[in-house]
Amino acid sequence: MLSDFEAAELLSFLTPEARPDVKGHTTSYILGLSGNRDGCRFLRTKPDIITALFALTSDPSIAIAKDCYFTLINLSADETLHQVLLTDIKVLQVMMKKVLDPEFVFSDQICSILSNLTRHLKTCKIMFKVLQEDVGVAKLVEIFCAESFNKKAKFHHLGPLLSNLTQLPEARSFMMDKDRCVIQRLFSYTQYQASVVRRGGVVGTLRNCCFDHAHHEWLLSDDVDILPFLMLPLAGPEELTEKENDGLPVDLQYLPEDKKREEDPDIRKMLLETLLLLTATKAGRDIFEKKSVYPIMREFHKWETDVHVTAACEKLVEVLIGDEPEPGMENLLEVDIPEEVEEKLTKADAREQEELEKEQERMKQEEEEEKKKRSDTEGSEKEQEAGLIR
Amino acid sequence: MAAPQDDSDDGMDEFMEKFKTTTYKNAFSKDNWEEEFDKIPMFMKKAPEEIDSQSYPELACLQAMIHDEDAPPEEQAANLKDEGNEFFKEKNYKKAILSYTAGLNKKCGDQNINTVLLTNRAAAHFHLGNMRSALKDAAAAKKIKPDHLKALIRGAQSCIELRSFAEGVQWCDEGLKVHPTDKKLQELRATADKHKRAAERDTRKAKIREKKLHGEKEALLAAITDRGIKLFQTSKPRHRESDGEEESSSAALSQLSLDCLSSQEATGARVFLDEQHILHWPVLFLYPEHQQTDFISAFCENDCFVNHLALMFGEELPPWDADRKYHPQNLQLYFEDEVKDTLYQVKPETLLLKVLQHKRFFVKAGSPSFIVVVKGSPFWEQFSTGKKIRGL
Repeated sequence: MLSDFEAAELLSFLTPEARPDVKGHTTSYILGLSGNRDGCRFLRTKPDIITALFALTSDPSIAIAKDCYFTLINLSADETLHQVLLTDIKVLQVMMKKVLDPEFVFSDQICSILSNLTRHLKTCKIMFKVLQEDVGVAKLVEIFCAESFNKKAKFHHLGPLLSNLTQLPEARSFMMDKDRCVIQRLFSYTQYQASVVRRGGVVGTLRNCCFDHAHHEWLLSDDVDILPFLMLPLAGPEELTEKENDGLPVDLQYLPEDKKREEDPDIRKMLLETLLLLTATKAGRDIFEKKSVYPIMREFHKWETDVHVTAACEKLVEVLIGDEPEPGMENLLEVDIPEEVEEKLTKADAREQEELEKEQERMKQEEEEEKKKRSDTEGSEKEQEAGLIR
Repeated sequence: MAAPQDDSDDGMDEFMEKFKTTTYKNAFSKDNWEEEFDKIPMFMKKAPEEIDSQSYPELACLQAMIHDEDAPPEEQAANLKDEGNEFFKEKNYKKAILSYTAGLNKKCGDQNINTVLLTNRAAAHFHLGNMRSALKDAAAAKKIKPDHLKALIRGAQSCIELRSFAEGVQWCDEGLKVHPTDKKLQELRATADKHKRAAERDTRKAKIREKKLHGEKEALLAAITDRGIKLFQTSKPRHRESDGEEESSSAALSQLSLDCLSSQEATGARVFLDEQHILHWPVLFLYPEHQQTDFISAFCENDCFVNHLALMFGEELPPWDADRKYHPQNLQLYFEDEVKDTLYQVKPETLLLKVLQHKRFFVKAGSPSFIVVVKGSPFWEQFSTGKKIRGL
């Protein structure tokens, strides 16, 4: 890596007064450095450079500012840099507020940085406090849900940001505040075609919120009605009988024949996990029963090919069609699991994982053999053809 | 009042003395004091419809003060607002609107007053059921003061009444930005959202139903075409007939809508395809001798005429058959080819389908029709004169 002397030289080129071309080359070089782990770790030891980068985000040259933002995005993606990035909170505070400016051109980059910085619990706590005080999570949700708040920015990365924030109980409380209308605004984005980042972030947020089973009844109530929005991405174009349709929640009825399911398997898995969480309480299970969503899961199970997602689906279906647990065990999240049982369950889980992975491997192998066979036959056919022509 | 400097009550005593001797003027009349009572502004229970200075001088005076053209516009507007509010309280919404409108026409510079005038007028319109006007006024109020809660609520309510649910949700969201904890806005948002999603479901359902019906129609037409049955187009054809021939099956059928299959019968019966893919036709039997008809609503294509004739004439002969001639074994069936002026005889054992497939048979108005006559009758001799007779 660079010597201390070289680093000091770089620093001198990163002042606002430095010659623009020199500045530009330097920021470009540093962006390159930040692209790999060693470079990041090196920059971690040079807090002065990082401070200079923050300052240069306001440089009049768009290219230089852009380099700085992208460098910071790279740096924030590395957890080991979070400490040093947060040393001067005030700088972050200034940056955060820029998001509120509907004309600001680097809002998306700021959102990425904020999203990265909230990934891990410790820094998340600090970030949440700062965000609430300076910007307000309510305002962030508002911007996230506004169609055209800023012509130059899409704010998709606010999705994962909110998802990260909801690791914290205080963030979840805020999102599910009964006196406000916050989490409801996110629901329609579970089907947002244009951005998998936004979709994934929203589903992640909803999943985290569903860990608070005290809120389940409210979430599933008619006023809030989270259920259809979790099921819609899993519902497909298959035609259901009129009886089945009429038993479903309104949003799931009579879906058109061009209805597409969620294409990202990780998001599908998250949706199923969220639904499973909601079946933890008796009240939740009762509501599920009333809403007859089984036909949707039945068709989904027929369609799903990913083994992990299928496993999650089967877990959910088991609860949906299974019997009620005995008294004392109604809230599955609160049941005390005796140690030996817990051990056994963990081992069983591990075995299941292994089996799933073996299954996946097997399927992959089969696919490859198929491909080979096909290309083999193609090869021999070609030979035959050539033979005929000859 | 002359206040005597001394402590005596002399003036007072004198005044009191007067009461004993003189009657006071302008007293209520004994007989209709209630009427007169109601005319005094302070004691009126209800404002009169018309205020003219002859019958209601005091009221007219007060009115003049309210509508005082000399007062500054803000004051006039405020007075008109109060007037409107009074009418509103009495549920006299039309008059309230007039007052509010007059207040707005003062174009006073006080935006608070104008916002309230618009919002209140919106409310009056709302109660009269004029949802569009209510929405318009609420929007105008919102433009002046974007955080005016009553205007926001009224706008959302109007959207919901107009079934413009997505717009209603938007109004609520705008409102919740400034008043995030307002219960009414949250409630309206939930309502609007629920209706919006129900309306979307209804659209989807209707679409699917339409598609299904369309599919059924197509299957029906296809079944008819596949059997080589020709439908006669009674309405003007959309394309010119080629070579003066009647419509050729394929070209015409592709143009035909199912309108051609609607029977003119009052029963509205129509040909249908059952689950086993068998066609059932509404069929007309014509008895030209007696100007009578019989209508069979669902004649299965695989059925023969004998069965139907037996049913209709087997047990009892119809009342119009005065001569008692129409026994099933005496009857002959024909269909007419009007263009070629030919009668084709149909043997009663024939299946309906076979007849329909005859190259000169055209189904008119969705209902195949057949002429029924008595074999060898004088009527038949007369009827068949000049016509060509053919077998199938």
